Amino acid sequence: MSDEDSSGWQLTESDPGVFTELLKSLGVPYIVDDLYSLEPESLEALQPVHALIFLFKWFPESPDDEPGVGAGHYDSDFPGFFAHQTVNNACATLAVVNALGNIASLHAGPQFMDLLSFTAGMDPQTCGMAITSADWLREAHNALSPPSSISLDGLDLPKKSEEAYHFVVYLPVMGSLYELDGLKPYPVQHGEYDGSGEGWVKKAREVIENRIHTYPTGALEFSLLALRDDPIPGMRRRLDALQGSAEDVEISDLMNKISNENSKRERWAFENSSRRHNHIGLVHALLLALAKAGKLDSAKADAQRVMQERLERQRAMQS
Amino acid sequence: MSVDLTSTSGRTILAFKSGRAFRRAGTNFVDASPTKGAIVLTNEEGLIHFMWKDRMSGEVGEDLILFPGDAKLEKVPQSSWGRTYVLKFESSDQKHFFWLQDSSTRRDEEFVTNLNRTLADPNIIAIWDARNVYPASEASTSATGASISPPSTVQPIVPATSNPTPASTTPEQLAQLRGIVSSMTGFTSEDELWLTDVLSSQNLLQLFQSHSELLPSLFPHLPPELIPSSDATPQQAVEILQRTTNSPPFRLAVAQLDRALRTGALGEFVRSLGLPESAAMGVGAFLAAIAEQARQEGGTEERMEED
Repeated sequence: MSDEDSSGWQLTESDPGVFTELLKSLGVPYIVDDLYSLEPESLEALQPVHALIFLFKWFPESPDDEPGVGAGHYDSDFPGFFAHQTVNNACATLAVVNALGNIASLHAGPQFMDLLSFTAGMDPQTCGMAITSADWLREAHNALSPPSSISLDGLDLPKKSEEAYHFVVYLPVMGSLYELDGLKPYPVQHGEYDGSGEGWVKKAREVIENRIHTYPTGALEFSLLALRDDPIPGMRRRLDALQGSAEDVEISDLMNKISNENSKRERWAFENSSRRHNHIGLVHALLLALAKAGKLDSAKADAQRVMQERLERQRAMQS
Repeated sequence: MSVDLTSTSGRTILAFKSGRAFRRAGTNFVDASPTKGAIVLTNEEGLIHFMWKDRMSGEVGEDLILFPGDAKLEKVPQSSWGRTYVLKFESSDQKHFFWLQDSSTRRDEEFVTNLNRTLADPNIIAIWDARNVYPASEASTSATGASISPPSTVQPIVPATSNPTPASTTPEQLAQLRGIVSSMTGFTSEDELWLTDVLSSQNLLQLFQSHSELLPSLFPHLPPELIPSSDATPQQAVEILQRTTNSPPFRLAVAQLDRALRTGALGEFVRSLGLPESAAMGVGAFLAAIAEQARQEGGTEERMEED
């Protein structure tokens, strides 16, 4: 059931597993990971990092201008890829596309490469519209979100407000740090970065930390994601190269890391399967099994009791 | 007591002549269909059915199960002819249009008011103007709720009035009134439970552990990538089931179903599960229908004892 604004794009969850799955469907050999801190050690462990994605929800106390917009300046001559967000629900995919569109020598599947050539030279608005009109992209995006389990079309159930996170991409383009925000007219240039040492991420850290501090405490809910190379192939190659060598520490370290990565991928795969699946059949099958096991009545009685307790607690709180 | 829901075997609360009207596509016009019909309200085990029947063929053209307070029949003010009504819902955008067909307009308001009173609260007995009382012989109901055949001409049932002139209420009428009241269970505490509590983590774990023979029936409903392979141990299967039923998407599906069942509008959906339409009436009704389905499929309770 699409409302006017969604143009057939469903709202997706914004976690690394979902993003990584999207990258897979674009044929891009990167993954997306949660970034719990911007400290050098955390970032170092994830290098090479191609882009940082800052996602946030802002709870304004007053309808003032959003803070954090003073930094940097608009670059209307930006030579790279930039698309406006023309469909709210597509925000996550749009952020990924804005990032990928600026990565030199990108490896991607033919459909995505075609889309990038097709949109070359377009102004941000037209580019945004072209991106959201790509049916195959929309389908890949929608495949990440839950199916509507029950056809509730026309029932007009009050929807719980699905707030979308807002996504902003930070990445290096031609020696400067850029901020790509689909809701802004142009990319924002934050100045040049020092290519040595940590490189561009150092500048990104400053800019992002400054931005976070401009929001009143508690008014901002945010998350950071890192778009990076998939580490597993590299680690495997290294492990193969070390076979038979005496580098026990490094070997066991690598094996640990590979094992951790695999667990994480397994968890993502489970979550993605679960997310895409229509569980209603399972709900019915479980209730039927409870009935056949002679346990449905007691489950009902339990549920009624729990409900009574809940109602009493509520009444107690209100009196 | 089993109820055959394909015929109108419940207790008819009221009925009156009316035709249907349909919106002309893409416009705000509604065209009256000339077919002679009737709006019939019945009560089947506490569930209110709003039906439209073709008076010539006896066919039920519309059968809606209504949740109390959800629907109302309102006059369409723009109808110059003045007898067009629309059935509207709180829970959805659905609209059904009707026009009153009784040759006299004298009772229009009475029919509609009583209908709306019942739709708002099935426990309210229709109040009929005693002067308009029809002979009770055409309207048979019984306290045990046995099958009745739908009236071929339309008469309000039981001129039971809680009304100004008690002297005119006969003993037979009082008995019928008591019968109606006792069968109108309405929507009581049965419905005060959440599906999410019925399918609590604890209840499910107990089920998985105590009735492993039922587990295979659950596998086909798991996300396809997670279905246990044939050489999976029972423990592995339980782990997968647990993980799935504890996952946020599963919990969300349960909550969505709970919410949707309260709209009373899932008739088609519950039928696709092999359940009767009454199962769409609320969480309690849904569970009752599933219990029946389990019995019909040969529940294992009795068999377990024989093992």
